[in-house]
Amino acid sequence: MIELLPAIMAFGVALVSIIATWLAVQERDLLLAILFSALQSTCYALIYYLFMAPDIVLVYLPVSVGILPLITILLVKKTERYEE
Amino acid sequence: MKLSDIIVGIAMALLAVMLSYLMVYGGLGPIASYNIRPLAAAFLNNTYNPWQKIYSALSPEAVTAIVWDYRGLDTYFETSVLFIAIVGLVALFRGANIVQGISSKGLSIIVKTSTKIIVPLILVAGASLAFHGHLSPGGGFQGGSFMTVATALLAVAFSIEFLQQKRLSLNTLLAVRCVGLLAIAIVSVYLLINAVLLGGYAYIFQNMQRLLFSPNSLVAVGISQYSMPYWFLDRPLGGTLFFFNLSESIAVIGGLTLGAVLLLLRENELKTVIGGEEHE
Repeated sequence: MIELLPAIMAFGVALVSIIATWLAVQERDLLLAILFSALQSTCYALIYYLFMAPDIVLVYLPVSVGILPLITILLVKKTERYEE
Repeated sequence: MKLSDIIVGIAMALLAVMLSYLMVYGGLGPIASYNIRPLAAAFLNNTYNPWQKIYSALSPEAVTAIVWDYRGLDTYFETSVLFIAIVGLVALFRGANIVQGISSKGLSIIVKTSTKIIVPLILVAGASLAFHGHLSPGGGFQGGSFMTVATALLAVAFSIEFLQQKRLSLNTLLAVRCVGLLAIAIVSVYLLINAVLLGGYAYIFQNMQRLLFSPNSLVAVGISQYSMPYWFLDRPLGGTLFFFNLSESIAVIGGLTLGAVLLLLRENELKTVIGGEEHE
């Protein structure tokens, strides 16, 4: 059982990331959609950590939680916040 | 209460439980198989092997050794793809500059104070990732993008005029990026220039001593004696790996901050530059 624990936790985190992706796609408020997408990225970072790839975690965290939301929030600011 | 609110609550609780479990127990043990494939065994045997320098990168971190030594040329072209994208951005925004006259006040005092506390911590964490990339997980791109998050936070919380006042104008950022790329190019041909000047043979992207082959056959004819420094005070330096990580982090912090500041420029100031008649 204890050997299966990482796989079970990766499965749970993957479920959370599916929920976050669904919320990000169906959300009309684009700012909230960006936040849900960052939540999904956090889940993926956790999965990378569980699968023993710390280098990918370290490059994935700043890009997906820092830089990508920054650029998309700037895009939302220069266009419209609510989807028709 | 909507259904999506309940789902969000349950998902966040699940994520918090798992994160805290990982933090308390510091990992869960190996998920990989105990049987190592021959390729992995070769890398594990040769990455840090002081008795056989002709096959070794002399760095305890296998991933960085593969990325910057065993397949260094691939990584060089990967890096140049990113910087060609930034060149495109700079060409699109040519002529744009931070207007000094319109002074923006930035965000509220609470945000500014917490940013002041957080930014040095992020900078130190990114620098340690970049400078210890040959000893522990991390590397130049990771450390550079961590530090870019800090400068982007500064630009958002304190306004871009603050960066301009601190001598971080667009031209300075472009110069920082160019210095980083130039350092990568110099490190990659350093031993080759050495060999040309002092006699003997060496390769591009050579790190330690390597076998020399005759041009038309696979027979080793000797050893290229040139090698980068591999020991600094009391710990391994990894030869070119440290210098590549250092210059890559400088190039990434310059380039990505430049991109963020260009996208943060205000629209009504940009319209006269991009859509103006004088550039047609």
